[in-house]
Amino acid sequence: MRPAMYAIIRKDLKGVTDNRQLFLPILLVPLILIVVLPTIFILSVRFIPEDAGDFNALLSMLPQTAMSGGMEQALIGLILNNILPVFFLIIPIMTASVMAASSFVGEKEKHTLETLLYCPLPLERIFYAKILASFLMSMFVSLLSFGVMLLVMETELFVLFGSLTMPSANWLIMLFPLSPAVSLIAITLIVRGSAKAQSMEESQQKAVFLILPLLLLIVGQFAGILLISPWLLLILGAVCAIAAWLLMRGCRRRFTYESLLR
Amino acid sequence: MKSVIMNQITKIYPGGNRAVSSLSLSLDQGEVFGFLGPNGAGKTTTVKLLTGMLSPSEGSCQIMGYDPVKDPEQIHAVSGVVTEHAQMYDNLTGLENLVFYGSLFGLDRDEARRRGTGFLQRLGLEEAQDRRLASYSTGMRQRLSLARALIHSPRVLFLDEPTSGLDPESAQNVNRLIQDLALKEGVTVFLCTHQLRYAQEICTRYGLIDKGVLLAAGTLEELRRAVSPRIRVRIKASNISPEITSCITLGGPSKPDAAPGKSWLETETREPSREAEARETWLEAEVGSEKEIPELVRRIVSAGGEIYHVSACLPSLEDIYFSLTSGKEARR
Repeated sequence: MRPAMYAIIRKDLKGVTDNRQLFLPILLVPLILIVVLPTIFILSVRFIPEDAGDFNALLSMLPQTAMSGGMEQALIGLILNNILPVFFLIIPIMTASVMAASSFVGEKEKHTLETLLYCPLPLERIFYAKILASFLMSMFVSLLSFGVMLLVMETELFVLFGSLTMPSANWLIMLFPLSPAVSLIAITLIVRGSAKAQSMEESQQKAVFLILPLLLLIVGQFAGILLISPWLLLILGAVCAIAAWLLMRGCRRRFTYESLLR
Repeated sequence: MKSVIMNQITKIYPGGNRAVSSLSLSLDQGEVFGFLGPNGAGKTTTVKLLTGMLSPSEGSCQIMGYDPVKDPEQIHAVSGVVTEHAQMYDNLTGLENLVFYGSLFGLDRDEARRRGTGFLQRLGLEEAQDRRLASYSTGMRQRLSLARALIHSPRVLFLDEPTSGLDPESAQNVNRLIQDLALKEGVTVFLCTHQLRYAQEICTRYGLIDKGVLLAAGTLEELRRAVSPRIRVRIKASNISPEITSCITLGGPSKPDAAPGKSWLETETREPSREAEARETWLEAEVGSEKEIPELVRRIVSAGGEIYHVSACLPSLEDIYFSLTSGKEARR
């Protein structure tokens, strides 16, 4: 049973990496979010005059300990540990959505799903193998993106400021409970809609609803209304994990051969 | 042992479309069963019911003793399916596709590769085995689908229009493979097609379906007897006396192409004229069985007639099908 599931996972991963139209956004979006965006932020901090006062409202929200290294260090800490993690969440959502849409709706669209259903694997196993493939891809891209971001950012910081800024606990919570939970929510939303969706584009539109609360968080960071903290992220992670579990549980029951091939 | 059993199976789709209606059939192991009917007759729905892809609204069926509703995985393990909507992956090569499907059926990679290569050779695809499927023609895809359906040595093979899009040589290869599987390995083949002449070439038994209703099932002989119990005999002869034409049972006018080189109207024999008596002419008679033909010939010859040609016109599958569908329309 397991080799068959591994074969489906390998095939789904290869299906996305072989398709430029799918793989390009999976590569480009993280590249913008983890290389271009941090570089713009760092350059802004380096070259904006200290007396500009644009960041004062934001900095006043920070605890006193964060201000000990001067305004530049405080701003960089704010960017790395408060603003970028929220942007970063777009990566697992986007990767999981693209992958799940290709894996479920894409197969239906290309008439390969029926062939897959004729194999002697229980529907549940096919279903979980496909979810796992999307999840693994999402986690791989997220972790790789974090590694690349850290490398690029620390190099830039060292060159421009001569010092390094370490990521806070926010990132640990972001990478482990939150990114996986958000990935699973994105996958299950796509999968739930896959029985009705007739095209990949149609099914990916559902994932947009996940970006909306994220946008609120991003606005919150910039306006200084709701700065993320480890506790806030932990609560958010727990809520998302419970939501992912509930969604996934309800998801399997919706599927029969007949509903999938309709 | 019966490989396939259908017992009063009915499928009504949501919306009320009755695709299959009270279908009962059984297939023996190793037979090539032609399931024949026009597009939309219910052939594909029947295959989906038998393979567990659809649940019947009424009735039940069994494949190799398994119920498709309760044990779809067991059915899939013992059956291979080729349908128009069961495609493979364009980003994989022909052989990679076969290895992938082989691994889904529990074969290890080496075994799947070995079996896959064998089928590719047998179906004339060995040169294309390392090419991505995206570059395959429709006929090549069709042959690869057959290889995919056979990769795990199924006991029952469901084929939906297996030779559509194939050139004559490839179609012959596929037919030979299907017949070999049935004869040598005892694989039961359930072949759906609307090409009646093609079915007559390779099937051992037939079921004719129209609008979800099974019109008839049986061997060609059985179907012929069901449609027309009498045999039409065509005789080309000369010096036919009026006594002979009056004492043999004349059949209705046949199709013009039935008399080679002459149209039927030119050789009408119901009331032969005196001038025509000495001429070669075509007669058409009806007999109860082939055993009556020698007696008929003897009578013509005894009466001074000369015979050049005698043939029993047996209805083809097409004739049987049209006869059954027109009968059904008339009953309505």
